Amino acid sequence: MTETLIETNDLSVHFPLQGKLFGPKPVVRAVEGVTVHIERGSFYGLVGESGSGKTTFGRALLRAVPITRGTAKYTDADVSYDLTTLEGDDMTEYRKRAQLIFQDPYAALSPRMTVRDIIAEPLEVMGLTQSRDETDERVREIARKCRINLEHLRRFPHAFSGGQRQRISIARALVSEPHFIVADESVAALDVSIQADVLNLLKGIQKDMGLTFLFISHDLSVVAHVCDHVAVMYLGRLVETAPTRELFAAPRHPYTKALLSAIPSLDPDDAGNVVKLEGEIPSPINPPPGCKFQTRCRYAIDICRVEEPKLDHSGFDHDVACHRWKELADDPQASVVEHD
Amino acid sequence: MTDSVNTDTANIDKNVDQKAKEAYFTASQGQLIWARFKKQTAAMVGATVLLILILWGIFAPFLTPYDPSIAGRNENYVNGAPNIPKFWDENGFSFRPFIYSFERSRSIKTNFRWITKIDREARRYVVLFPQGDKYTLFGMNFETHLFGVDKGKIHIFGTDGTGKDIYSRTFHSINTSLAVGTIGVFIAFVLALIIGGISGYYGGWIDSVLQMITDAVRTIPAIPLFMAIAAFIPDHLSSEARFFVISIILGFIGWPTLARRVRTHLLVERNQEYVLAAQLCGASAGHIIRKHLLPSFTSYIIVDLIISFPYMVLSETALSFIGLGLKDPVNSLGVMLQNVTSADVLLNYQWYFIPVIFFIILVLAFVFVGDGLRDAADPYGDTKK
Amino acid sequence: MTKPLISVKDLTIRFNTDEGLVTAVEKVSFDIAQGEILGLVGESGSGKSVTAKALMLLNPDNAVYGPESSITLNLGDEQVDVLSLGPKERKVIRGGAVSMIFQEPMASFAPAISIGDQMVEQLLIHSDMNKASATELSIEMLARVGIPDPAQRFSQFAFEFSGGMRQRAMIAMALSTKPKLLIADEPTTALDVTIQAQVIDLMKDLVNEYHMAILFITHDLGVIAQTVDRMVVMYLGTLIEEGEVRNVLRKPGHPYTQGLMNALPRLDDLDTPLTAIKGDIPSPLDRPTGCVFNTRCPVTLGEDCETRVPIYTSMGEGHQVACHLVEKTGAPA
Repeated sequence: MTETLIETNDLSVHFPLQGKLFGPKPVVRAVEGVTVHIERGSFYGLVGESGSGKTTFGRALLRAVPITRGTAKYTDADVSYDLTTLEGDDMTEYRKRAQLIFQDPYAALSPRMTVRDIIAEPLEVMGLTQSRDETDERVREIARKCRINLEHLRRFPHAFSGGQRQRISIARALVSEPHFIVADESVAALDVSIQADVLNLLKGIQKDMGLTFLFISHDLSVVAHVCDHVAVMYLGRLVETAPTRELFAAPRHPYTKALLSAIPSLDPDDAGNVVKLEGEIPSPINPPPGCKFQTRCRYAIDICRVEEPKLDHSGFDHDVACHRWKELADDPQASVVEHD
Repeated sequence: MTDSVNTDTANIDKNVDQKAKEAYFTASQGQLIWARFKKQTAAMVGATVLLILILWGIFAPFLTPYDPSIAGRNENYVNGAPNIPKFWDENGFSFRPFIYSFERSRSIKTNFRWITKIDREARRYVVLFPQGDKYTLFGMNFETHLFGVDKGKIHIFGTDGTGKDIYSRTFHSINTSLAVGTIGVFIAFVLALIIGGISGYYGGWIDSVLQMITDAVRTIPAIPLFMAIAAFIPDHLSSEARFFVISIILGFIGWPTLARRVRTHLLVERNQEYVLAAQLCGASAGHIIRKHLLPSFTSYIIVDLIISFPYMVLSETALSFIGLGLKDPVNSLGVMLQNVTSADVLLNYQWYFIPVIFFIILVLAFVFVGDGLRDAADPYGDTKK
Repeated sequence: MTKPLISVKDLTIRFNTDEGLVTAVEKVSFDIAQGEILGLVGESGSGKSVTAKALMLLNPDNAVYGPESSITLNLGDEQVDVLSLGPKERKVIRGGAVSMIFQEPMASFAPAISIGDQMVEQLLIHSDMNKASATELSIEMLARVGIPDPAQRFSQFAFEFSGGMRQRAMIAMALSTKPKLLIADEPTTALDVTIQAQVIDLMKDLVNEYHMAILFITHDLGVIAQTVDRMVVMYLGTLIEEGEVRNVLRKPGHPYTQGLMNALPRLDDLDTPLTAIKGDIPSPLDRPTGCVFNTRCPVTLGEDCETRVPIYTSMGEGHQVACHLVEKTGAPA
């Protein structure tokens, strides 16, 4: 029976903005009230578009940004940390176990360091090795795992393509043998043919090293293939979460449905049941009242404009935050969305 | 519809130099910058000229025939016109360059101005490696100079009001100005690094406070400030001590601009993702500064330093020119220009301005090198596809 | 048969770099008919952007065009040889008959000039309109692309627009000069998927309304499937497959195209594992000899593929593939 590695409850991350000298300071509610359970050994997907707060959430779990409210716990076989109050030695220990893979392979590697030094940096900073030889050996080992040509270790980042740089980035995240990895849009900047390669690499490493992944992406197709559980975010809020197959077979939240149908089909004759979302994503500084999706939702009714929906259990492990999910699920007419 | 792609053999890109490719892959930032720098003609010319002038300045005591101070003056040839060596005149050709002898006289008829009468029959030949005024170079005493003349003295750029050789003074003054500039830039740099560094790295209110101080110092007008400080420099200070004091003052005035640049670089670099990656490993501030931030702007700072140089030199020139800076016997361009404002000089002794040309060349050389470095260091090395 | 709107023949583009002459595009030929949407698919290093820029002579100065390269624009009676246009004559391809929209709309608008002013400026250059009519037309175009309150938005700046709206404004600007050919270089890549759907719909509507052709460049095969009529596939500067979009996507002939299809995560098939194309896209400094794909091809014929560059073999209905295996066996792998 797997246990929960990361558990958050009503997690919120707010960023204060420069307001006027007197008066209330505006706040960006990047993440608001998110409750998730990430099982150990799972490949947990987190999807959303821009402004959804998914990146901020991932970084909050690594304490790269401070947590404003709510709780977050990391529970491993031997230790347990309260992520909201982490500091000092505990923070150092946690950092050894939780790492981040960045999105942009071009910005994530220091152009002035050789590949070997980049990968070795975590080892040196965290004092995980005793000698230079030991460092070199561990670097080589992880480079092999990530299929980086050992001869390339003495080259500089500018010599490599996006896919290769991403592999270097991955190697750097893995060299300290962490237990939890946040992969923030790690394949978004890669070409399709490379993307599959990197995804397979990540899955392979997960099995090999028994890691837990939080896989952040805007690309639902990718998430569908590699994740076992998916959470959907919109404007900082969690709108739906379910095991992957379940989510894609029976999405319940209107946003999830729209998101799925917006993905262009590879069959030119299949225009699909495309739900056209009108309008734009609202501003996170001044979000609309009630449900954040109501401005673009075709099913919005009065209550949606006033009261924010809570996460409801709609099935085994399948949660939705929508006032009308039940009737939309029961009524087949309402589920088949037609293009106006 | 479309033409067929023809069956060429071996589509080898012979056009791509394989060795160059591997060199490019393993080149550090420094090497890439140097490679790009070499391609710019203006910058390379500037660098060569700069090198020549610097060497000339360092070896000035050897390369110039006379002591530039009062001690080496030629009392017989005060305000004398330049003696240009010739190889040939109506009396015949000579392998050895020569100049003419002269006689000076003045009388009431000429309003007591010296009249120089040139005797074209009496030649004085240029000699190589003569013994001359003593000088000290690198802690050792020498007497040999590069060239001189067999009788009397030779003044390629003429002499000034007390008979000092302008040629010797010019090159000694380059040395002085460069030395002043170096010390000034060094002090400014250290201050800028500390203040700008703290400001840029920590941000927040520390940054705001330090920025206010920086701006305040920057807006103080230099000349009045110098006048005030100069008033406090005791007269009895030796010329060397005075020289150091002036340099230090220049450094203390010059740091705000550099500090601002350091701060900007840091603010940008601090937000780079690879810095975040290091922080997520728990890297200390020291580690991040050493391994990521400092190397990242070393190239920019070197550019800033080189461009600050001419400003220091020109500041010192301005100061000395109005009499607040260096004084005799220390030479600098400013000191040499102290006497040029009289009508007498402008009308009759134009050779006083020859050193100006050299200084323009020096400043331009610095500027070209600095510009070239800035272009070379500007990373397109961070290109995306 | 009517002449194609634009005809590219044997386009070869090399760049003069520190490491030598690097080949970005090699003997690329294709035509775009009037009113047709042609999709250009390629990943990084495929040369698709360089090719698109060549149509507007936007490549940097160190670009060297091969001697046999030609790009011909057929505008009614006039035939324009693009590659030989002098600096003053380039107006016709830059914003005149040919317009371009880019991937990153924030980077394409001048930040300190209002959107409206930029649109008007373009119109004043390419037409005889006066400022008043140019302003009127620009506001009309903004409305046409679905921007609410166009008169007000006209005086706003790029940073006041959201990503999707900026892209719409970019389309409005590109279309206000009624170009015959619109080059869209990854126009939806930087957009959220829900916004992407809106922008694609908009472009298709506009094509019907203005009867213009589009060269749609992207790496996203899903977008290609829903948007274009015909497509060409580029790899490392060479065209390796072309045809009607249905034929190419349903029965890809070239191993690279097949590899791309297999590597794509598909929502209609969650069980098939993702198969990657082995290896990496070679750097342009490392261009393979013979067939450029041979270093990664799962069905390479060995020496043949390593030494000879393949020619197009037809698979019927205008579907052509540059592959030795197809040439020999008449069927794809």
